[in-house]
Amino acid sequence: MAIKRFTKMEYKNPDEMVFGEAKYPLSYGLGQKIGAGHVVPEINFAPRPDAGKNPETLRREYVDYITKDILERAVNIGLPAVQLENEHIWQMVNDPKRFEKPVVEGQKALMEKYHNEYGIALSIRHTIADPRLCEKGLRPGMDKEHSYPEKVIEAAEVACENGADVLSIESMGGKEVADYAIMNGDIRAWLFGIGYLGALDMEWLWPQLVDICKRNKVIAGGDTNCAGANTSMFMAGGYLDKDVARTFAAVTRAIASTRTLIAWEAGATGPDKDCGYEGPILKAIAGRPTAQEGKNCTCAHNDLMGNLIAQVCDLWSNESVEYHAEFGGSSVQCWLGSLGYEVALMNTAKQLKQDKILRDLYMNTDRYRSPEAFILAYDNAYKIGEAIVANSKSYYDRAKAAALTAATLIQEEASKKNGLRLSKMEADTLNGIIRDLNSLPDSEGKFVEWALKEYKKVPMFNPKNYGL
Amino acid sequence: MLDTSNVNYDEIFVRYDIVSESKEKPETIAAKMLPKDPLLKKVAEDVLYMKWKDIEASVKEALAKYKPEEVIDKGLVKGMDVVGELYGRGIYYLPHVMLAAKAMELGVKEAEKKMTTAMVTKGTVVMHVAEGDPHDIGKNIAAVLLRSNGYSVVDMGRDVPVDDVVNKVVETSPHMVTGTALMTTTMAAFPKIAERLLEKGVELPFVCAGGAVNRAYVESFPLGVFAEKAMQGPTLAAKAVEGWDYKKIRSKWDELMSGKA
Repeated sequence: MAIKRFTKMEYKNPDEMVFGEAKYPLSYGLGQKIGAGHVVPEINFAPRPDAGKNPETLRREYVDYITKDILERAVNIGLPAVQLENEHIWQMVNDPKRFEKPVVEGQKALMEKYHNEYGIALSIRHTIADPRLCEKGLRPGMDKEHSYPEKVIEAAEVACENGADVLSIESMGGKEVADYAIMNGDIRAWLFGIGYLGALDMEWLWPQLVDICKRNKVIAGGDTNCAGANTSMFMAGGYLDKDVARTFAAVTRAIASTRTLIAWEAGATGPDKDCGYEGPILKAIAGRPTAQEGKNCTCAHNDLMGNLIAQVCDLWSNESVEYHAEFGGSSVQCWLGSLGYEVALMNTAKQLKQDKILRDLYMNTDRYRSPEAFILAYDNAYKIGEAIVANSKSYYDRAKAAALTAATLIQEEASKKNGLRLSKMEADTLNGIIRDLNSLPDSEGKFVEWALKEYKKVPMFNPKNYGL
Repeated sequence: MLDTSNVNYDEIFVRYDIVSESKEKPETIAAKMLPKDPLLKKVAEDVLYMKWKDIEASVKEALAKYKPEEVIDKGLVKGMDVVGELYGRGIYYLPHVMLAAKAMELGVKEAEKKMTTAMVTKGTVVMHVAEGDPHDIGKNIAAVLLRSNGYSVVDMGRDVPVDDVVNKVVETSPHMVTGTALMTTTMAAFPKIAERLLEKGVELPFVCAGGAVNRAYVESFPLGVFAEKAMQGPTLAAKAVEGWDYKKIRSKWDELMSGKA
């Protein structure tokens, strides 16, 4: 399927957006409805270190322990609906038939048992791993050592043929240049790495995934720029961290949204991936359901928008937790409880028609906590979305427009007496970003010509990976 | 949207980074640490202020008066010392360190051209990312920091099989080996590496780090030494070169990380 770029906003204004409702709701799995008037908890998990020893130890860990624990707890605390997410480990993509197939089959069989017995709405997202190495080759036929590009596609097929309800991936295209950009504080390199190269990789990958999903009647969910924008965000970190300026992270998030959007432009329907904090921008543009994570994912990582990012979610996730024992049960049971009660609050608010009040409470607690939170507040996310659809001529145009819009929003707000405050490093970095972005050429062709020369020595960067 | 005009955000969160922001300027701190000699000072300042385009010329000028080893130790290294100080105080961020390290590397290469014998490094570190794991930004940052602190780095890259790591350690006899992993299942390679190194009679600190890696796990197998951040690499390497074994590093880990050992 060809890529069809978004050229208009699906929402008429930002206030239309609220959690638990999408313009294009979905029905799938075992009675699951997403974006159809309620929020669903999405529980994610990681096996213990030795679980990948052989196919049987891995199956047992995922099915007999993790999935069973989740389903037991979901019924025990009366959750009406749960989505599971299995983020596949390396063994499952490296040898899909031996390691992946029994897990996918086993999880679904157990879910069917609980659905049949209790009527609980259930579904599972399988997020295939992307171990492709740019130094070996990102496209088929290039990686003679591992054949990772071919294995990614095979892993998608195995997941879809054996029980996935939703297919996702955290794809890695452009990461080598994005990592260089973060380490060197170079926003133009980021724009090239994620806004352009990452976009080309998505354009190659996602039509194939959509096709596999269609053939197997599986929902093509979406992607996330976890490998890029989340690296920025985590390195920018909290108030004691001094590695990456949070204004840099905020602008990278805006750029990342233009790349992640391509999954939906290739025919995926959502829900996108929980760790794609760019979700509010995507939802504003496309009206598709979005999975998000915040305060109930502190088992996995810390962010500065734990409440805000719940504002327009359709699935609410814990990101991931290693399977182990806690006082209150296994870790997946404890974090499902945490998610389930938060979602119950959201859904009660919806029933009482107080959802937009709760949305604004979530958003306002963190609106000024960091520049990245500020640009993802739903009103600002909407403005960035508008900039993207108004500049849909090329990947470069819209990524640059998203970046400049985010940077300008931050700068304008920080100049006001109350509201968003910036540290000296954040302010200096932001000024540099705006200067650098404004120095770039007008056309994509000129930009790419310049960037290929400027970044040709970036370690492991090979234009052939992107068909260049 | 709710009217929030009466909200006092100071009661909701505190920007401790702004509260504790250093008022000192890099120049003030640098003035106390930079060499006095104008030629060496210029070399050090080119590192400090990341002037990687100027540094080769500055090094050439200094080499007219000083030996290459002196230009490195009293110019380039002094500049990098100030960078480390500014980074430690939160005045410099990671990109400053990376660009300063780039300047330093270019300066060292220029100085090396005048050396009659090969440059002696402080020690050798073999680095890798675990098999099945493509996340290498932490390893790459640590490698830059180790190199700019005078260590020789054998960078094996990412997704490196256990046997390849073991063979490389046997082949190069480094002072320290490092492994990084983002995921719980990929870090399972670390105890295997430690076990096979011991089978071959090789004992050295094996520094493990990364997203899912924690101290308890790393200290559950022989040789393992935990690192929380890339900037801890040079401290651990220094102790490895001094001859501290993994048990001693573990026992003094808290003091080392707080700069008290």
